[in-house]
Amino acid sequence: MMKRMILFFAMALMLPVFASAQDANADKLVGVWEPSHGKARVKVEKIGTKFYGKIVWLKEPNDPETGKPKVDKNNPEEALRNTPLKGYRLLKDFIYKGNKEWSEGTIYDPENGSTYKCVIRMKDDNTLEIRGYIGVEALGRTDVWKRLEIKK
Amino acid sequence: MNRILSIVLLLGASISLHAQVDSLATDTLVEEEDFSMYDNVDFADPGVKRFCTSKVLDLSPAKFITIGYDYQARHQLNSGAYNASILNTTINYPGQSTAIKSSGGPRFNANIPVISRNNIIIQLGANYLQNDYTLVNPVDRNPAQNPILYPPMQQTIEESTLRSMGFSATVFKPLNERQFLILQASQDWNGDYNFGDFQDMHMPTFSAAGIFGWKPSDRKMIGFGATRNYRAGELNYIPVFLLNWTAPSRKWGVEILAPARGHYRRTFSSRSLLLIGYELEGNSYVLSKPSVFQESESTFVLRRSELRFRAVYERSIKSFIWLSWQVGYRYNYSYNVDELADGQDFFRGFFGEQPFAIENDLTNSFYTMFTINLVSP
Repeated sequence: MMKRMILFFAMALMLPVFASAQDANADKLVGVWEPSHGKARVKVEKIGTKFYGKIVWLKEPNDPETGKPKVDKNNPEEALRNTPLKGYRLLKDFIYKGNKEWSEGTIYDPENGSTYKCVIRMKDDNTLEIRGYIGVEALGRTDVWKRLEIKK
Repeated sequence: MNRILSIVLLLGASISLHAQVDSLATDTLVEEEDFSMYDNVDFADPGVKRFCTSKVLDLSPAKFITIGYDYQARHQLNSGAYNASILNTTINYPGQSTAIKSSGGPRFNANIPVISRNNIIIQLGANYLQNDYTLVNPVDRNPAQNPILYPPMQQTIEESTLRSMGFSATVFKPLNERQFLILQASQDWNGDYNFGDFQDMHMPTFSAAGIFGWKPSDRKMIGFGATRNYRAGELNYIPVFLLNWTAPSRKWGVEILAPARGHYRRTFSSRSLLLIGYELEGNSYVLSKPSVFQESESTFVLRRSELRFRAVYERSIKSFIWLSWQVGYRYNYSYNVDELADGQDFFRGFFGEQPFAIENDLTNSFYTMFTINLVSP
C-alpha cells in the first residue's frame, strides 16, 4: 500500500515534466525580440506558467522634452506615469495553448496608454506575429517581431 | 510515512512557489537590471528587412467603426430653370426658391484591416450616409395628378432622401524603412433610391488614388500622387499631396490629404485632441424619383459637392471608444444637375464647357456632426 502511494505521488510530481517535454515549443517564446518599428527591444521571460515581456532597450531612451529617461507618461493611472519605460512589462499573462500559439495575455502600447488583448503566433523560430485586438481578433492589428541574439 | 509527507510537502511548496511568482509577475515595474547587454545585438535571422509603418506619432486615431449624425442648419435651394422635352413637347420650369429648415442624416463607416503585416496592410471598408431635407413650408402636392407643374428639384428635396453607399479597399505597402505606397479604390452607389427600390446598378461611381511617399521619421510622413474622384461633385483627375507631421514638442501637428482635407491638430493628451481645417465632400447622385425625370429616357445626375470648414474635438471616453464632435460652416460648391442622354457619364473636369441641365444654388449653412468611434490599436 505504502509503495503504491509513493508511486502515485512520484507520478504526480513527474506529470509537469512530461507535459513540458511534450510541449517544448512553449519555451521558444523566451528570448529578446524586436518589434517592426525597431524603436524598442523586448525580453520575453517565463515566470511560473505564464510568459511576460519587458522593454530592455529603447532607440531613443531619453525624452527629448525633458532630457531624462523616458517614463510611461501616457498611462491612464496617474500614479504610474513616472514609471521608467525601460524595464516596463508590456506583455503580460500569456499562456501557451499549443500549436505555437500563446494567448489570454495583454499588450500595452506606451504611445497611447492603451492595453489590448493579444495573441502571439510563432511563424518560425525567429519570427512572431503579435496581434493586438479589441474584443474580437478581427478588430486588431498584427505586428511582426524578430528574434535577436546578444553579441558576445 | 515520513517519506510520503515529505513528497506532499515538496509538491505543496512547489505549487506555493509558482503562485508567488505568478503574483509578482503581474506587477508592472520590473526589478533593476543591467540593460547595457541589449545594446549590441544581431537578428537571429540574418536576412531581416525593416519596413516603415503607416503610423505617425500623435496622429488622430484611425477608426475601425464610426456611427454618427450630421445636421445642417437652415438654408435655401435656389433651383434653376429647366426645359424638359416630353412627348415632343417642351415644358419650361421656371426657377424656384425653397427654404430648407434643416438637412442631414445618419452616417456609418467601417474600415477593417484584413491583412496586417509589416510588409503590407490591406483594409476593406464600407460606408453609408443619407441626407434628408426638412422644408420650412412643405407643400402638399400630388405629382401623380399634375406632374408637369412639379419642378424636379423641388420634388427631390421634398420627397426624397439622398443616399450614398459604397465599399472601399486600401493598401499600405512599405517598400523599405523610409518609402511607401498607398493605393485606394472605392465604388459607391449614390442617388435618391430606397432600399426596397434600389437604383440601377449600372451607375456606380468609381474612385481611386495612388500615393508614393517617404517617412523620414516617426513624426513625419509626406507623399505625392494622383486621384480620380467625385469630391467636386463630378469626375475629376487631380494631383494629391499627403503630409502628416507632428511638431517636436508633440503638442501640435498637421494632417493633410489635399485637396480632400487638411487640418491643424492640437494634441491635449494621448486621449484628446482638436482638429481645425476643412474637408471636401461630394459625389454624383442619380435622380430617378422626380416625375419629369421618370418620363425622360435620359439619366439625371446631381453633382453635389460641399466644402466644410470645421473644428473637430475628439476624445476617448473609454479606452478604444472615442467621441468626435464637429462644428463648422458648410459652403456649397456644386448642386447642379447633368442630363446624360445615353446614360453614360462624361468627363467635364474643371475646364470643360458642357452646360448643366439645371443650375442650382444651395446657400451655405452652419452644421454640426457627432460620431462615436471604435478606434484601431
